[in-house]
Amino acid sequence: MYRYDEFDAAFVAGRTAQFADQVKRRLSGELSEEQFRPLRLMNGLYLQLHAYMLRVAVPYGTLSSRQMRKLAHIARTYDRGYGHFTTRQNIQYNWPRLKDIPVILEELASVEMHAIQTSGNCIRNVTTDQFAGAAADEIIDPRPVAEIIRQWSSLHPEFSYLPRKFKIAMTGARHDRAAIRFHDIGLQAATNAAGEIGWEVWVGGGLGRTPMIGKLINSFVPNEHLLAYLESIMRVYNRYGRRDNKFKARIKILVHEEGLETIKGQVEAEFAEVRGGVLTLPQQELDRISTYFAPPPFAAQSVTKIDVAYESIIDPAYGRWLDNNINAHAQPGYASVTISLKPVGGAPGDATDPQMDVVADLAERYSFDELRVTHEQNLVLPHVAIADLRAVHDALVAAELAEANNNLITDMICCPGLDFCALANARSIPIAQEISRTFAEPQRQAEIGELKIKISGCINACGHHHVGHIGILGVEKKGGELYQITLGGDATEAASVGKIIGPGFEADHVPGAIEKLVDTYIAKREAGETFIQAYRRLGEAPFKEALYGTA
Amino acid sequence: MEILTGNELISGGTVYLDREGNWVEDLQAARLFSKEEATERDAALAASKATGRIVSLEAEEVEQVEGRIVPKRLRERIRAAGPTAPLSLNGQAYDRQHLGEDGHVSI
Repeated sequence: MYRYDEFDAAFVAGRTAQFADQVKRRLSGELSEEQFRPLRLMNGLYLQLHAYMLRVAVPYGTLSSRQMRKLAHIARTYDRGYGHFTTRQNIQYNWPRLKDIPVILEELASVEMHAIQTSGNCIRNVTTDQFAGAAADEIIDPRPVAEIIRQWSSLHPEFSYLPRKFKIAMTGARHDRAAIRFHDIGLQAATNAAGEIGWEVWVGGGLGRTPMIGKLINSFVPNEHLLAYLESIMRVYNRYGRRDNKFKARIKILVHEEGLETIKGQVEAEFAEVRGGVLTLPQQELDRISTYFAPPPFAAQSVTKIDVAYESIIDPAYGRWLDNNINAHAQPGYASVTISLKPVGGAPGDATDPQMDVVADLAERYSFDELRVTHEQNLVLPHVAIADLRAVHDALVAAELAEANNNLITDMICCPGLDFCALANARSIPIAQEISRTFAEPQRQAEIGELKIKISGCINACGHHHVGHIGILGVEKKGGELYQITLGGDATEAASVGKIIGPGFEADHVPGAIEKLVDTYIAKREAGETFIQAYRRLGEAPFKEALYGTA
Repeated sequence: MEILTGNELISGGTVYLDREGNWVEDLQAARLFSKEEATERDAALAASKATGRIVSLEAEEVEQVEGRIVPKRLRERIRAAGPTAPLSLNGQAYDRQHLGEDGHVSI
């Protein structure tokens, strides 16, 4: 786990004090709202429908128990007893009061956390695979490099006022669990002919009103030159990215309009200037940072396999949880545990303060004090001994956190929607709640298998609807809500953007429409075929016919 | 008809300009502006903005249904009543943010 050095600590403390003074001056009337608004946004503080919303950064989704307990404390003391974990691996508080924000930021700083660059046209919190440093299919733990990118990008003087916000995601595994092709820059660990590890660099991906899959701009950038290469991309974007039209300002538009080869030429020209200079990463520094992410002191385990079939006979609920919520670990005798924040009828991503405390306790006792936040709005205990899984499960059951639905139909991504968000056009949480009630039966979920539903309450796509196997987008029509359904989206290495299948549905009819799609899939699938595989084989016609009676 | 609404500075809570010129939480106490009162509406908006205590100021279209003020936009109906999604985590319903003692201001 990375620990702040004196520079980090001074930087966060200075910024916290600065913002406390700005809040004080706003409350006294010395600052107008026009003057204050950009300052609060730089500190992750939004004003939503009913209240302020504070977005707190969780760098690359990694937390310690101490940090999680602090998040619980803040929820309990300054908010309404819960927090909302987001697709950016952050946490949002929906109900803080402006006067409490300075003390909340002080509390966060005391555990090496902050809300800087969780808003605004800057490089946002870098996200990664939630199983980084643990996954059996990993080439390299991406977090040391993610931490270096965090340090490089935090308050970078050249990139504090970009044309638009800028998001970087990275994965060290072959299977992309970080949706890297839908970020402004995606980094995937790669090896070159000499067997050295570096990074594939993907650029120009994104969701929103113009969804695009990122394009490969460089198939291998060595670690030592990665910052120089990223800086080169940022310079080209900062120079040529459109500032006249907010809707065309992201780098995906620049890459699309200019063409990858043109952008690549400019980046390479910039790289030729920057390469070998001050941004060259010394191996010594990489090694120093890497020590903070060294594998925990794993012990030799006598239990190295899970007999899910046997456990399912003894206790079906435990068996389902083992089957769905456990991920293979690189270390024999260990596993990663996904803690679902998607209870039937719940708001996806929400956790109460007691639940956060329970998860912190479990991490401390069973997972070397480590936790992760997933971009699919769940939590992870990355390093649990297989022998401890039963104890972890039982504690999660007591905390109502043992929903065995990871990657199943009720494990939905869902943005806050019109119930909270000032930008939304339609509600999304009630839609997710109704769908999860419709498919609450575990046997039915198991029969359906892997299926990712993603719901957004507006075209900005915070709920990633474009990359849902089934995507749901809420739009406003004649003062009411209407929900468009897309099919065929995929956020993994087999990236694809979903297609709108036909006219939208009123809210009451959305669960029924999803049932028809699921029934069609079950009727037409081949053995072992997932929903997305079946859709790719069958095309949209049978699904369209199921929904509208005509292909 | 229109009402004036915004968010109170300290709490962020939803407030409405009432007939006495105070910003209050109760939508039903909101002052109704007819089309002919656009000048007064704009003056009230400007005066409210000058206090610096109410942010995200907006004029919202409403209608009267059986004597009650009902905003035309769903967004505004949610702002007035709080989130529609029942919070199952603590078994309690969401409500919207309420003003503190220092939240009531007069323009």
